[in-house]
Amino acid sequence: MTDKKTTHFGFQEVPVEEKAGRVADVFHSVAAKYDIMNDLMSGGVHRLWKRFTIEISGVRPGDKVLDIAGGTGDLSYKFSRIVGAEGLVVLADINESMLRVGRDRLTDRGVSGNLVVAQADAQYLPFPDNTFDCITIAFGLRNVTDKDLALRSMLRVLKPGGRLLVLEFSKPQSQLLSKVYDTYSFRLLPAMGKLVANDPDSYRYLAESIRMHPDQETLKDMMTEAGFANAHYHNMTGGIVALHKGVKP
Amino acid sequence: MKIDPTLHSAATASLEAVINRALRYDPATRLKLARLAGKSLVIDISGSDLSLGCHFDADSIRIVGQIDNPTTRLSGSVSALLSLALSERLNLTGSGVEAWGNTALLTDLKSIAAQLELDWEEAVNELLGDILGHQLANTARAQLGWLRSRGASGKRLLQEFLTEELRALPAAPQLQQFNDNVDQLRLAADRLSARVERLLRKRHPPAAE
Repeated sequence: MTDKKTTHFGFQEVPVEEKAGRVADVFHSVAAKYDIMNDLMSGGVHRLWKRFTIEISGVRPGDKVLDIAGGTGDLSYKFSRIVGAEGLVVLADINESMLRVGRDRLTDRGVSGNLVVAQADAQYLPFPDNTFDCITIAFGLRNVTDKDLALRSMLRVLKPGGRLLVLEFSKPQSQLLSKVYDTYSFRLLPAMGKLVANDPDSYRYLAESIRMHPDQETLKDMMTEAGFANAHYHNMTGGIVALHKGVKP
Repeated sequence: MKIDPTLHSAATASLEAVINRALRYDPATRLKLARLAGKSLVIDISGSDLSLGCHFDADSIRIVGQIDNPTTRLSGSVSALLSLALSERLNLTGSGVEAWGNTALLTDLKSIAAQLELDWEEAVNELLGDILGHQLANTARAQLGWLRSRGASGKRLLQEFLTEELRALPAAPQLQQFNDNVDQLRLAADRLSARVERLLRKRHPPAAE
């Protein structure tokens, strides 16, 4: 008998120390076609989800923003325009391939001066305490091995009064939508992954990891438990995605 | 009923795209708006949960659903807000619209809107090419000019007919005189009322407590 700690990787149970490596493999594999697949999988709606996140963030000129799991830099691009020359945006991701795609894309779009790129693990953020006015993590928290540890790490680097925004797939609020969504995720999504990125397994993992992610209320409780005040959430597209917000007291 | 944020974001994104695209055809207005960079306006539609916010950035505007602590906040019914937007008036008294924050932003916006001049010929040219677009724009301009002058002279003629020929309505100076007389009468009545009040108090002083 083994006493090794395990965690979920999609629907599989894997040793805790293996999860990060496996997630890294998935994102190394999908990085090159991540944007095109996002548009295809969500019908472009992911842009609206991110737009709402920016709106709720209340980021203002001069703010310091940390975009964790920033991937290809959608949020960082918008934030860099809002914070202006006086502000700072840190695009962070644990995955080197995703970060490289994001950095190149932002450079191509003329973002410079107020944006830095950092390869960082959300569980052990390499920044001083009380640094950021706002932290966002969009479609990234479900891939983190120890979510509680990551939430505490984010709380530490936020300034008092700073906001954390977690944009993540969640639990649809209606039975009908839930069934349609299941069919889409487990049949259509891997097929699209195979067709466009020739990588059905990675996209199957994405669908499975969404199902294993805590639902709206659970994540809200986790944020409160980690020390965030006024934790609440907005359901989007019938609860397929939820935006959680908490404030550092 | 609460609108799903996805739909709300889709609406604000579309509106923002249309406005920013239109502003591309009026560089002067864009420059004037750039002077408002960093300011924000929120419009609350009373009787509903609907709000619309606008951030003014250096080179564009951003439309959002909500803004914490905007520069200016307006609240009113759709009709009151529309009539304020379309009228030339600058004060809000009796308009049915309430304002909070810095109302100078409203004055700036009204003045910018009054001078808005979109180069719609450029937009047509992008679609049809310079030669065809220019011809079309010239024809449309001539027709529009004719309609505008007909509209202005029609309005003047109708006004003259109603006041001078039909005598159905008073002329503007007469109306102004009448209003002045009413004001004078009201002031005189107020003064008289105050005097009567004072005389009554003299005759029947209030009992000492």
